[in-house]
Amino acid sequence: MSRSQLAAQQAALLRALLADGPLPAGFDSGRLRAQADALLSKRRRVIWYLRPDLAAELGDRFAPLFADYALVHPKTVQVRMREDAERFGLWLVAQGHLAPPRRSWWRPGRR
Amino acid sequence: MKSLPRLGVGIGWRPEIDLTVERLTDVDFVEVVAENLGHGDLPESLRLLRERGVPVLPHAVSLSLGGAEPLEMARVEHLGAVASALDAPLVSDHVCFVRAGGLDAAHLMPLPRTREALDVLVANVLQAQRALPVPLALENVAALIDWPDAEMTEGQFLASLVERTDCRLLIDVANLHANAHNIGTDPAEFLATLPLERLAYVHVAGGVERDGLYHDTHAHAMPAAVLDLLGELCARVDPPGVLLERDDDYPSDEELAAELAAIRAVLT
Repeated sequence: MSRSQLAAQQAALLRALLADGPLPAGFDSGRLRAQADALLSKRRRVIWYLRPDLAAELGDRFAPLFADYALVHPKTVQVRMREDAERFGLWLVAQGHLAPPRRSWWRPGRR
Repeated sequence: MKSLPRLGVGIGWRPEIDLTVERLTDVDFVEVVAENLGHGDLPESLRLLRERGVPVLPHAVSLSLGGAEPLEMARVEHLGAVASALDAPLVSDHVCFVRAGGLDAAHLMPLPRTREALDVLVANVLQAQRALPVPLALENVAALIDWPDAEMTEGQFLASLVERTDCRLLIDVANLHANAHNIGTDPAEFLATLPLERLAYVHVAGGVERDGLYHDTHAHAMPAAVLDLLGELCARVDPPGVLLERDDDYPSDEELAAELAAIRAVLT
């Protein structure tokens, strides 16, 4: 096995855990599910800290909606946690789960 | 080989408990997550600890040293810069991969225990060491999953890594407990196989058992089993340092002080 084969195996594992990809051969499927859940809750906890406003507005809906968001927006290497939090907020509005934030009339440069 | 510094008993410095760490009377050293520090000024609290002579060790979580994709040297250089800013005697990261195929697990993922994966890890570690100003210690991670077709035990994998890179070891006995519970790692074989004379220091932390799996949360109290493993390690080697990691659901100062005292009790 070469370095590129190992890279492919590692990428396939992360696709399965983060992006609903096919389960890689040889792994215990129950454990993959447990690991995927653990990664999702770790990410959700960070977003919860970064956007307490969303957590407060969504209440009990926070966790299931974040799971829906994460499934279609797996964390990529380009997206920092703060951007991830902002994107979740925008996604909630775009999907109609939250009303758009009121425009801040005093902030310069926004129309 | 330069001898490893005596560190004592320490705690992971986090911004949320900065005042607690300053107030605790028996903290000999601290660790800071390197990625949480910028290039500019150090947080006031860390400056104060340094002025008191408390060693501050940078601990990295993002080098992805076991990743098969090329090492991101900017991350290594940042770690080195943080070490220089803190005048740290050593730095650390984990035996794991974090990124692959454009996705970011934002978590320390276990490696396949194969000769090929070890070759990749060794090459990355050697490359990182050339760019770092101080020795690098590498830590065993906690796993919920295990790769198929393992060719060696965790202990053998780490021992080969040390032999081929001359890195130091950061042994996390809470992670060892997790792996004993979750993937069948044999703690006695693990401790017997490691070159413990290369031990830089030890991590301990709390966790929780849920649905038959042990989760290394750093958000719960230390279970007795983790302290027992610390005791088993101490029966084989006098560790230069032991550090408590707590990352969430921070308890009172008194509870953290009690956990540090419990660690000291095992050491004496």
